[in-house]
Amino acid sequence: MNWQNVATIARKDLTIMMARRSLRIGIAVLPIGLAVLFSQIIAHAGITADALPQYLNAFLFFFMIYTGALPATMASYSMVGEKVERSLEPLLATPASDGEILLGKALAALTLPLAAIWAGMFLLMALCDAVTHATLGYLYFPNWLAAVTVFAVAPLLALMAVAFSVLISARVSEVRTAQQLGGLAAIPGIGLYVGLVSGAFSLDLASLAVMCGALLVIDAGLALAARATFHREDILTRWA
Amino acid sequence: MIEIENLSRKFGDVTAVDGLTLTIAEGEVFGLLGPNGAGKTTTIRMLAGLIGKTSGDAWVAGCRVGDPVTARELRGHIGLMPEEAGLYLDLSAARTLDFYGRLYQVPAATRAERTERLLTMLGLWDRKDARVRTFSKGMKQRLTIARALIHDPPVLFLDEPTANLDPEGAKTVRDFLLQLKRERRTILLNTHQLTEAERVCDRVGIMHTRLIAVGTPDGLRGTGSARSTAIQLAVVTDAIVAAARTTSRADVTVAGNTITVPVDKPERDNPRLVHAIVAAGGDIQFVSGNVPTLEETYLKLLGSENNKNNENNENNENNESNESSQKTGNNDKVAR
Repeated sequence: MNWQNVATIARKDLTIMMARRSLRIGIAVLPIGLAVLFSQIIAHAGITADALPQYLNAFLFFFMIYTGALPATMASYSMVGEKVERSLEPLLATPASDGEILLGKALAALTLPLAAIWAGMFLLMALCDAVTHATLGYLYFPNWLAAVTVFAVAPLLALMAVAFSVLISARVSEVRTAQQLGGLAAIPGIGLYVGLVSGAFSLDLASLAVMCGALLVIDAGLALAARATFHREDILTRWA
Repeated sequence: MIEIENLSRKFGDVTAVDGLTLTIAEGEVFGLLGPNGAGKTTTIRMLAGLIGKTSGDAWVAGCRVGDPVTARELRGHIGLMPEEAGLYLDLSAARTLDFYGRLYQVPAATRAERTERLLTMLGLWDRKDARVRTFSKGMKQRLTIARALIHDPPVLFLDEPTANLDPEGAKTVRDFLLQLKRERRTILLNTHQLTEAERVCDRVGIMHTRLIAVGTPDGLRGTGSARSTAIQLAVVTDAIVAAARTTSRADVTVAGNTITVPVDKPERDNPRLVHAIVAAGGDIQFVSGNVPTLEETYLKLLGSENNKNNENNENNENNESNESSQKTGNNDKVAR
């Protein structure tokens, strides 16, 4: 694995993504907007001090699920965008290996959205602390539950969205279609949301650990499938 | 520099390239001519290590095509200009060349120097920082040439480099190809622009799944299409036509005061022809030789190839229908 090639490809993809205004706006506005919205709901919902921790945990979790669309969007642009511009052939003609190209693209699709999600989560936690400090009498964030959500669950969900988008990209030839189908990657997140709301499980460190384990298995499977899909010959002869 | 031995590629039941055998010497510009679907792009993709082969072997710049051990080295020796420009529209010209230069492991200083040289030579230096999105089709095509050359490869594969360009754009690209030829690079050029092949290529091959003919453009003109001599006379009489017919085995045609006589070897046949016509009382005004163009040769060779394929298909269909009627007959017998 030539890491210089991986970095070169990731940098190129990031440059191209950031050249698109719609992506720039999406990356900046969605996390900030959601953080402000959620913190205002917490501030004005009249939640009692006893119930606040449960709501705060849930809102942080929902925030992560909603912003999970960002990596899928980026991956769709990265993969299907190359298909639309017919730029994969000259890229594949370089000495970079299939794995280096895929990894470079995955890194580009992962890093920027994940940074935006983290920034949004930190903002949400800070705003929530600001509006709940008087009620609770202490700063609820940071805590271990939030740390696991931010640094383990969020990257694993983002990785799942990227790997799933690579698989989708092999089958479609329009960025919009890839994004819509990529939304299917949100299904596990929605399942968790429903489970949480229905009381099937509670948000604690043990359930987050189980969740991380399950996501790791799903991510590994999807990553292997994505690697098997991203094969030079198939890209040129079978990808539409 | 490029050795191809019995190279074939099938996609399912469809044969895209059938038993291609060819050697292209170092510094040679070889043109692969053929209609769409003739297997030219598939050939280039196989040689560039982008897709696999079904059978046969090939070596490019000493690397065996399809060998995973030398795959990176092989691609490093090749500059590819695919049929579709495939440029990143949101990158600038300079950034595009820098990106590819990095992937080809070109050192930073060399990258910068080559980027300036190539963009200057191709008339793009003034627009080096403009996004490719703002480029005309001709500018994009020139940038793809620069991209193929950023790592200074000894071998170039150019797939339809002047396709869809206006005459001025095509000329710019063609002039640059002639410059590359002077630099003694080995070039495999896919084209169906026959004039381009005649001007640029040392040798051309006519391909229609398989290689039908190979030779220099001049040499190929004599293949498949006969040369002829046209003689304009003051008056054409039956005696003159009869005299002309004695010198040629093929048909003599008459149009106005000009008779056209097919000849095998003009230097041998023309004096005999002229003597015969003069002896028959002909008053010769002009004598001119008609050499078939590469286009005529190309169309004639492809025409005979298509006829052959049609005959084969018909034979196959007849055989299949005979076989099926025999089977039906057998079934009938069994049924009875």
